[in-house]
Amino acid sequence: MSSRARSYWAGALARLLPLALVLAAWQAASMSGLLPKAVLPSFGEVAASLGAMLRSGEIVPHTLASFARAGAGFGVAVAGGIVLGILMAQVRFVERAVEPVLLLIYPVPKPALIPLFMIWLGIGDFSKVTVIALACLVPVVIATFNGARGVDEMLLWSARARGTSERRILWRVVLPAALPQIAAGVRTAIAVAIIVLVSSEFISAETGLGYLIFSYGGVGADDAMLAVVIYLAALGYLLDRLYLAGLRRLMAWHAFAH
Amino acid sequence: MADPCLDLRAVTMRYGEGPDAVAALASIDLAIDDHEFVTIVGPSGCGKSTLLYLVGGFLRPTSGRIELRGRPVTGPGPDRGIVFQRYSLFPWLTVRGNIAYGLEEKGVPRAERDRIVEEHLRLVHLEGFENRYPRELSGGMQQRVALAQTLACQPDILLMDEPFGALDAQTRRILQDEVRRIWRRDTKTVLFVTHDVEEAVALGTCIVVMSARPGRIKEVIARDFDVADVDEFEANPAFAALRLRIWRSVKQEVEAARP
Ligand SMILES: Nc1ncnc2c1ncn2[C@@H]1O[C@H](COP(=O)(O)OP(=O)(O)O)[C@@H](O)[C@H]1O
Ligand SMILES: [Mg+2]
Repeated sequence: MSSRARSYWAGALARLLPLALVLAAWQAASMSGLLPKAVLPSFGEVAASLGAMLRSGEIVPHTLASFARAGAGFGVAVAGGIVLGILMAQVRFVERAVEPVLLLIYPVPKPALIPLFMIWLGIGDFSKVTVIALACLVPVVIATFNGARGVDEMLLWSARARGTSERRILWRVVLPAALPQIAAGVRTAIAVAIIVLVSSEFISAETGLGYLIFSYGGVGADDAMLAVVIYLAALGYLLDRLYLAGLRRLMAWHAFAH
Repeated sequence: MADPCLDLRAVTMRYGEGPDAVAALASIDLAIDDHEFVTIVGPSGCGKSTLLYLVGGFLRPTSGRIELRGRPVTGPGPDRGIVFQRYSLFPWLTVRGNIAYGLEEKGVPRAERDRIVEEHLRLVHLEGFENRYPRELSGGMQQRVALAQTLACQPDILLMDEPFGALDAQTRRILQDEVRRIWRRDTKTVLFVTHDVEEAVALGTCIVVMSARPGRIKEVIARDFDVADVDEFEANPAFAALRLRIWRSVKQEVEAARP
């Protein structure tokens, strides 16, 4: 093994070790009777439950339903957030109109808005997708606005001196220059989408991973409930890694911090 | 005598308004002939960059006129190429993309564009680096790309704002020779800002000394001798004398600027 490969595996091991220790401690506590099953099922039971769900495939339709909701809300938020953020950065009037609204929604825990949206938009998927979109919109708009507003003036000058018209400068300079910040905002939106998705599926859903957690919890199937939570965490982690790997490939010109 | 390439008349520049306004330039009169390599030297903060940005059309003068070949400057344009100390390049474009940028904006056809890019890659000795991104290059290489990017647009006049100010001494010396070589090759008009007296004398056929802020033209001195390489200036007594003379002139202004 080359020293580079060895250090890669050493790094991966070092990252996994704390997690493995926590899981081992959890299992030991359960087996020794320190942690009664009524409080928390053992890691082994949870893992077995997760294995059964994956083998039977029962988790698949719920995963797809959740993906569809989160994906729809997230997609709308990314597209709308970039457009709105750019408009805010370029048009004073839009900035003045949108900024107070944005600052108002910013600190509100978006899941708290779910009941309200259900009254307005019905209890179906539409209200869920809307809340997810609203929640994801905020980080994307803020990141896009900051990115587009913070473009180095020298870059704009450089472009103008090389013949770029004001009409084209958005495409040629502002957007690409803001891209690293936009990408960071979108990354936040991925996490937000998952959080709000699960909360929205707690209420009046018949499918989805949030529904699964809620219904298993309701019947006292704690091992199955925790299995879905762990599945969700793994899914979220994977999505984030995939996203970062994609960014590194597509934006090779940028030096990412991590 | 022919009309000057660039003509500044009674140009003043203030930043801001009211009591907080900063007077950066006080009445600049300067005429620059075609094919001159003009260096502008002066104490830090005397308005050298401001002067260059006005000629570039990035800023508008508070009063006065700036004319390029008899036409008033109203905004930036590809007839004036600019190289900044940093941030001239687009980080998201490769070396090739950066050099081709101005040509794309001008609508130069693909084949022609590729030919010009190749030519300029060779000119600044960056063959083999065309697919690198700016962040993968050293500071000196980035400035070579910036130079190629600017020259590829075929500007009438080349504006440079301390382009080598952030480079180490060896790289700076090599790039100074390259700029001299490029200027000799197609004798463009160059306006080159620096705070380094030696650089001003080694590059400029015409050296403009500015006063402390608010900047005025203190003196304009022609260098009437030349050598093939910047290195050869070292042993040249005329060079040493001129450098000393200009240094004393600049030093006076540096001291005047001290509170
Ligand atoms: N955007 C600005 N707003 C206010 N003052 C400025 C601005 N840019 C430059 N100045 C001031 O104008 C003076 C000249 O600046 P500059 O042209 O950058 O000088 P130099 O390039 O010779 O160091 C300085 O005192 C500087 O602080
Ligand atoms: Mg300056």
